[in-house]
Amino acid sequence: MSRMINVAYYTFLEMVRNKVLYVLFFFALFIFGIGIAITQMSIGDVVDIISDTGLATIEMFSTVLAIFLGISLVQKELSLKTLHPLLSKPLSRTEYVLGKFFGMIFLIIVEIIFMSLIFLVLLYFYGAPGRLITYIPAIYTIFLQTSTIIAVAVLCSTLTEPTVGAMLTISFYITGATSYNLVYAITHRTSENVAKVINTLRFILPDFSHFNIKDNLVYGKGLEGLQIGFASFYALFIIVIVISLSIIFFNAKEIN
Amino acid sequence: MSKPIELKNVSKTFRHPMKVWDKVEAVKDLSFSMENGEIVGFVGHNGAGKTTAIKMIMGFIWPNSGEIKVNGKDPGDQEVKKTIGFLPERPYFYAQLTGMELLNYFGRLCGIKGSLLKDRSEKLLRRVGIFDDRNRKLSGYSKGMLQRIGLAQALIHDPQLVIMDEPMSGLDPIGRREVKEIIRSLKKEGKSVIFSSHILSDIENLSDRVLIIENGVKKHFGTVSEIIPPDRIRYKIEFDSPNEMKDAAFALFKGIRVVSERFIIDCDDLDDFNTKLSAIVEKGYPVLNAGGVLPSLEEIVFTTENTEVKQ
Repeated sequence: MSRMINVAYYTFLEMVRNKVLYVLFFFALFIFGIGIAITQMSIGDVVDIISDTGLATIEMFSTVLAIFLGISLVQKELSLKTLHPLLSKPLSRTEYVLGKFFGMIFLIIVEIIFMSLIFLVLLYFYGAPGRLITYIPAIYTIFLQTSTIIAVAVLCSTLTEPTVGAMLTISFYITGATSYNLVYAITHRTSENVAKVINTLRFILPDFSHFNIKDNLVYGKGLEGLQIGFASFYALFIIVIVISLSIIFFNAKEIN
Repeated sequence: MSKPIELKNVSKTFRHPMKVWDKVEAVKDLSFSMENGEIVGFVGHNGAGKTTAIKMIMGFIWPNSGEIKVNGKDPGDQEVKKTIGFLPERPYFYAQLTGMELLNYFGRLCGIKGSLLKDRSEKLLRRVGIFDDRNRKLSGYSKGMLQRIGLAQALIHDPQLVIMDEPMSGLDPIGRREVKEIIRSLKKEGKSVIFSSHILSDIENLSDRVLIIENGVKKHFGTVSEIIPPDRIRYKIEFDSPNEMKDAAFALFKGIRVVSERFIIDCDDLDDFNTKLSAIVEKGYPVLNAGGVLPSLEEIVFTTENTEVKQ
């Protein structure tokens, strides 16, 4: 356990000092800025627009970070051969994969907290700082969704090279983000039998609609009782399966 | 007491990088074992199978056949790893960490903590000569410095067996001398060391036994004197010549060459040596040097016709 925490800590430390992180961070601030600029030209509640843009930016930034840092987590170590001295120490491959995953999770937690603070400052500036409390469930589900993306990025990182890994992880994200609407659209425009097949397929495909509660919160629709609980369970379910697969593949992999 | 490393009929095959249906035999039927407290030098051309063998010993890759035991256990066993220090070829470490952080990271993985870890890290950084750079990020380290921090991380947990893949590569002559001293001091501490190198003089100077591998096959394994057999002694005569006798000197025998104004003639055997030496003395040429010379390890390794496998 302590070895896994050690790997997680140094993974976090290595990534938090990565210049790419700061480039992405400034990009996120830029998006925030654009959001504010749009409020000046829009009709409607400014706080709603700020909230919508803010949550969307947190989600987008977390997703980009999860994909582009996540896919290089193991692959970079394989290609640079930093893995050899590490695995020569009394560290199991399982501890290594888990350490890498939790290191990345730790980075995302810090990033989300940091972005939320900026978000809070904006809400304060527009006279609604108390709204952030309302949005905590939405930020939490963004974290859950990002965690599943990190898990898939780790899996891809143990299996294939970064470019292919990035494409597979992006495909996972796109599938997750669109599957609900896609299935809904198809099943309402096709025969009953095809609709049954598509509905069955829906259980195999990732479905990020379970994490999408921000619209409900921003526009005051409220939360359904078990939505957060189910989202947590759903994320955990995906993570356990995907990380287990990562561990199985990585244990069977020859480290050349 | 179990042997530090024991390989029995180990073979490893890879897929051909260009033709996926073809296979490349990187290591073929390799057997050897090393004793506690000895230094084994691992020699071979690029692609001879040295690194593949080391990776199998480390448990990074697995043999297709044969058996490997490290300190009596399977490679990759967590208990075994506590007793092994490993320096990879051309080591590269986390660019954003400092030298000290890297040693803290790897030391903690080995269960070392607190003041013991700090003391050991500082001592090792001094030993490998990069103490003053301990708080610099590894991205700013030169190739030689990375080699040195690599050596420090390999020794952080005071291992009984040290495995080094090309430990001298990337180092300047002073660095090479320092690494050689470290290897010698490890032996004095009773540790076993196996290292690969292209620099055969280093292997010759440091190793108790030498393992020579060619195309994945063991060519020789033994002490330097066992590997260089006495019957391969070469006889050579060096002589001087007054200016007026130089033309005549070239006419004495076929194959005379001049190096640094010295006439040198190689002899086929002892009889040939005696005949030629007598002729040179008889003609009045001053003999500068004459006698038998053993071939160097380098000549043995790179003599292509010598391909027999010595068990």
